[in-house]
Amino acid sequence: MKVFWAFARQSFHSMAIYRFDFWLRVSTILLLMYSVRWVWITLYTQRPGAFGVNLEQMVTYGVLSMAIENLFYSFGVQYYMSQQVRSGAIDVDLLKPLDFHFHMLARNTGQMLFRLFIMILPAMLCGYFFFGLQPPATLLAGFQFAFALLLGYLVGFHLEFLLGSIALVTLEIHSIDWAFNALLRFFSGQFVPLWLFPGVLGTLAALLPFRSLFAIPLSIYIGALSGDAIIPAISLQLFWLAALALISRWLWGRVQARIVSQGG
Amino acid sequence: MIKVEHLTKDYQRVKRREGFLGGLRTLFSAEYETTRAVDDISFHIKEGELVGYIGPNGAGKSTSIKMLCGILVPTSGQIEVNGLIPHKNRMENARQIGAVFGQKTQLWWDVPVIESLRLFRDIYKVPETQFKHNLNLFNDLLDLHEFQNTPVRQLSLGQRMRADMAAALLHNPRLLFLDEPMIGVDVVAKDRLRTFIQQINREQKVTILLTTHDMGDIEKVCSRIMIIDHGRIVYDGNIDQMRAKYGTQRTLVVEFEEPIADFDAPHATLVKSEGRKKWFAFNRFETSPSTLITYIGAHFPILDLAVEEPEIEAIVRTIYQGQPGDGRQSGS
Repeated sequence: MKVFWAFARQSFHSMAIYRFDFWLRVSTILLLMYSVRWVWITLYTQRPGAFGVNLEQMVTYGVLSMAIENLFYSFGVQYYMSQQVRSGAIDVDLLKPLDFHFHMLARNTGQMLFRLFIMILPAMLCGYFFFGLQPPATLLAGFQFAFALLLGYLVGFHLEFLLGSIALVTLEIHSIDWAFNALLRFFSGQFVPLWLFPGVLGTLAALLPFRSLFAIPLSIYIGALSGDAIIPAISLQLFWLAALALISRWLWGRVQARIVSQGG
Repeated sequence: MIKVEHLTKDYQRVKRREGFLGGLRTLFSAEYETTRAVDDISFHIKEGELVGYIGPNGAGKSTSIKMLCGILVPTSGQIEVNGLIPHKNRMENARQIGAVFGQKTQLWWDVPVIESLRLFRDIYKVPETQFKHNLNLFNDLLDLHEFQNTPVRQLSLGQRMRADMAAALLHNPRLLFLDEPMIGVDVVAKDRLRTFIQQINREQKVTILLTTHDMGDIEKVCSRIMIIDHGRIVYDGNIDQMRAKYGTQRTLVVEFEEPIADFDAPHATLVKSEGRKKWFAFNRFETSPSTLITYIGAHFPILDLAVEEPEIEAIVRTIYQGQPGDGRQSGS
């Protein structure tokens, strides 16, 4: 745990250097929260009752999904891996007495904790005061939301770690990452709640791991998912977390074996 | 401390075909070619030794160091580092060694040096008292405090090396690998790093393997030297022995009272002539300086003279060149 905090401290120092990036991200979040709120208000005026939940819930869903965006999107681990291997600096990482997968998890989580306090919580407060973000449906829902969000974060990390390992085999990161981001934004329910997806698309979204990141925690938060209905949702997150952890560790093992036999 | 027996490392690389179609064919069926980077080397290093490891570019120095660090798996042969097999116990081995790669920093680019060191403390689980003690030590020896709040990317090369040394030694490793730590460092900083390396070797009893291209490092710092070329160890011993064995060439520099036409002396060759000075090269097994001086003095008036020892660099050059090209394996 100490290592996680140590990495969080590191990102505080890095972030203090990249002030421009920080303010750019903050203003983007505020702009997105503002826009998404007006989009839903406009849609609800046109066709009230067409979206399955009431306006307050929908605005909360939309604004919160923007506020927590930076929990998942960062200078992802996949870029770090690709950069280290290409430059040969991966040697220095392997020289440390750390399991590489654990090292990446600690590094990523440290940075995430930093963003949680410096960006996400302030964004949620702004959402509450200015953009109609409601508190969680119930206190229990609040705790369940936090737990589901943690699982979502871990699923997201492993997707990126897997992506990084694949990119090291194909030696190409940008196009893969672009496709991944498109899939993620669409199937995670960040912009459009998944219950509005028709037929096959809805089934597909329900099975893919992406909804662990936004759709499940957010649905719990607004009370659209409650009681026993939570269990299958959390189980799906746990299933994907276990599956992705196994697959990505296995693939990274292969990549590392190649690095240590071919010297990068 | 280190035992290496018949260590060999082959690299397999995809053979590139030329042209667009060639590139396309490589996608489907790749041909491999094998290059042998390290070829059947064996050596032992005892605790407390400070060994210089030299050789031309591509001779296999870094490859062997990486194998000792456990981040490269040997093709064949045995390695034991303080009782551990590095590539089988990479993480355990990492705790007992420290390493500085001159070309790559271990520190985090964007954060102040002291923050990087704190992260090292947490990763290596260094107790707080030991951390403080070592920081004080490095402050004394490396003047770390001058730049400890500066981010690594703003450090000069000499400062960065000092910071990297501190990071590598924070967890009190018994063994330190230095892979070209002096590369690009200026004379003053170099001198300071050399002193530091000697100090930790003598006072902390850290065993050190130092790779370098700078013969000054070897002469001033190391008690033993291993020369590797084409993947093979071609010399292993102390510097005086090396001088005695390979440094047979001496130069006699004579300054005359007046300009004199070029002439040859028995068993010596005139290699340079400049104004009233002349340089004669001779093999010390064929003739002695006194014989030469007597001969020359009998014929011409001498003003001043000096006998020059061969520079260690010249000796090493002889050793490199003495290696036939067939030492390099074409692979199979």
